[in-house]
Amino acid sequence: MKKNNKKLTLFILPALLFYSVFTLAPAIGGFWYSLTNWNGLNKNYDFIGLKNYAAILKDTDFINSITFTLKFVLIMVVLQNIISLALAIAIESRNRSKTLFRTLVFMPNMISMIIGGFMWMFIFTKALPYIAQQLNNAALMDISWIGDPFFSFIAIIIVSLWGGIGYLTIIYLAALQGVDRTLKEAASIDGANAWQVFRNVVIPSIMPAITIGVFVTLNNSFKVFDVVYSLTGGGPGRSTQVIAMNIFAEAYSLNNRYGYASAKSMVLFAIIFVITIVQLKLMRKKEIDG
Amino acid sequence: MKKSILLSALVLFLVFGIVGCGKAPVSEPKKVTLKVFMTFPRFQEQFEAYFEDFKAKELEEKNIDVTIELEMPNSDQAAQILKARLSSNDAPDLFTLHAIADIPSFYEAGYLSDLSSQPFVSDLLENVKDIVTYDGKVVALPMESLAWGYLYNKDIFAKYNLTAPDTIAEMLNVVKVLKENNETPFLLAFQESWIPQLMTALAIGGVVTNENPDFVEKMNSGTASYNDIDQIFDIIDIIMENGTEKPFEVGNAAASAAFAEGKAAMWVQGTWQAQAILDINPSLNIGCAPLPTSDSEDGALINLSVSTSLAVSPTSKNKDVAMDLLNYILDKEASTALFEELKFNPVAKFHDYEVFPWTDEAMSYVALNRGYRDLSLPQAVTAEQAALLQSYYAKTITKAQFIAKVDEVWKNSLGQ
Repeated sequence: MKKNNKKLTLFILPALLFYSVFTLAPAIGGFWYSLTNWNGLNKNYDFIGLKNYAAILKDTDFINSITFTLKFVLIMVVLQNIISLALAIAIESRNRSKTLFRTLVFMPNMISMIIGGFMWMFIFTKALPYIAQQLNNAALMDISWIGDPFFSFIAIIIVSLWGGIGYLTIIYLAALQGVDRTLKEAASIDGANAWQVFRNVVIPSIMPAITIGVFVTLNNSFKVFDVVYSLTGGGPGRSTQVIAMNIFAEAYSLNNRYGYASAKSMVLFAIIFVITIVQLKLMRKKEIDG
Repeated sequence: MKKSILLSALVLFLVFGIVGCGKAPVSEPKKVTLKVFMTFPRFQEQFEAYFEDFKAKELEEKNIDVTIELEMPNSDQAAQILKARLSSNDAPDLFTLHAIADIPSFYEAGYLSDLSSQPFVSDLLENVKDIVTYDGKVVALPMESLAWGYLYNKDIFAKYNLTAPDTIAEMLNVVKVLKENNETPFLLAFQESWIPQLMTALAIGGVVTNENPDFVEKMNSGTASYNDIDQIFDIIDIIMENGTEKPFEVGNAAASAAFAEGKAAMWVQGTWQAQAILDINPSLNIGCAPLPTSDSEDGALINLSVSTSLAVSPTSKNKDVAMDLLNYILDKEASTALFEELKFNPVAKFHDYEVFPWTDEAMSYVALNRGYRDLSLPQAVTAEQAALLQSYYAKTITKAQFIAKVDEVWKNSLGQ
């Protein structure tokens, strides 16, 4: 028994080492800095306890960025999962060229979101106005996709969906392929129509995938950064400033308050942690075994 | 017997002969390695060549063989890399920093050496030396000095017989004439937030220097408010209301192209950008004028500042050689050629090369006492102003909210 454990430990040692040095250690370091007033530059800093956390409560910009991110997360979770599921069902129902569509849907996911952001920037600022001009549609031309706070939000949603749907579609495709066909046939023989089959047989069978889908979207949307950074930079002003952008600005460009920014990162971590635990617990109940 | 004596004598002769012919040993040159950190990736070749000359000179005069490890990161990452190195005790021997923005915090953290006794100090131009002096000591060697206001298209101005306005009233007239002739007065490029921030920099500079000279001190002691200088919004409103469309979709590169193509007559952007604009359209005539902020010409002032400067780390293990390299940057014989090639403005009294026409124009205002030293606002305030201007243009905040927010940020930054 002991020998087995030793071997197993040796196998996971490289990955564990990597994880500890590059993920765990900085996280612990971050927690330590959140209790200080380091500004990223001085050799000396003071331990100030929970003063950073107290300051967060009064930081209206941070609180605004939290509410903005919540809006973003909600819309993303709903839209991304529904669209991915719909795409997966559509692809699954095809007899031929399944692989072609799978590849097409997944391709945006392979592009770094910074590049994707710049690509879409061109579409929003040059391509769309040009098309609107050709169609002589003045209303469409007037939309400032990057400048107007409302439309910038929509722009970010569009680009995030474009980048993220591929991954979820693959997951849902795999799950749909695992649905027991005999169950579906039995249900339709008993008189259930397509929607009822879907709702009462397919969805419970793919619940694990839905758990994953919601979990992944929730997690990634809360931490969203690349898309916002490359598309709007948090602007105009602070209208599209998500939590990660707020922390980034605080630590590096705005104030150089590294300790304070670390405290905000801890808050972000806590929020994601709580939501994830709650969501996992809820979803686990609905999964069926076997 | 005779043969062996003869043979040994021959061998001895040969040995002594060879030893005698050997050269008298020369003292080995001392080997020194200097780590230099500079944020001029576009000038890498020029600096490498310049340092080669330095190495030759140092070897000849002091018998020191210097190896220079030159690091030239991109300017957007440079600040972070440098700060990480400084705070982890891995400071380069020489490094560049932004004089106005970085000197206070770097000095307080103890990362700058006192350079007041170095030979180059006596050669510096007065107003330039003033900017790299902190706490009574010269702490950096200025390299990029700037004199800027806003840029204007001389051809468009000449076409309608306009001259650079000195007061708000004259500016309104210029705007009116341009609009009547279907020209866009101002180029607006707000995608990169540092560009709109230049408006507040110039406006505040003009208003404060002219009418409220101890504004910065009063703000630093919490006894003033941006309400005292809300006059800055007069010119800012004029610019924002008479500019190009969709400014948030225009970054620095796109704006330079637009200005080069004559899409607008004026652009609130510094002279550092003029070369890039000229590269796009070499036949453009670019002028530089001070931004009017009031109804008197004393409110239209040119901003004088120093950006990139070179400092020596106090923890350098080869301080003497580092100082030699530092002084070589302003070497009486070699420096003029370097500065001319890099197209930097003159910083020393012996720099007498030809400069750009817009620099001449800016300096002509300075000669009439219409220049001011770039104000030292807390970095947090500068960055916040940038974001607030974007929101102000998008009309998501009012003037009153702008003032309240920037006051608050200034107050918070004092606790650092």
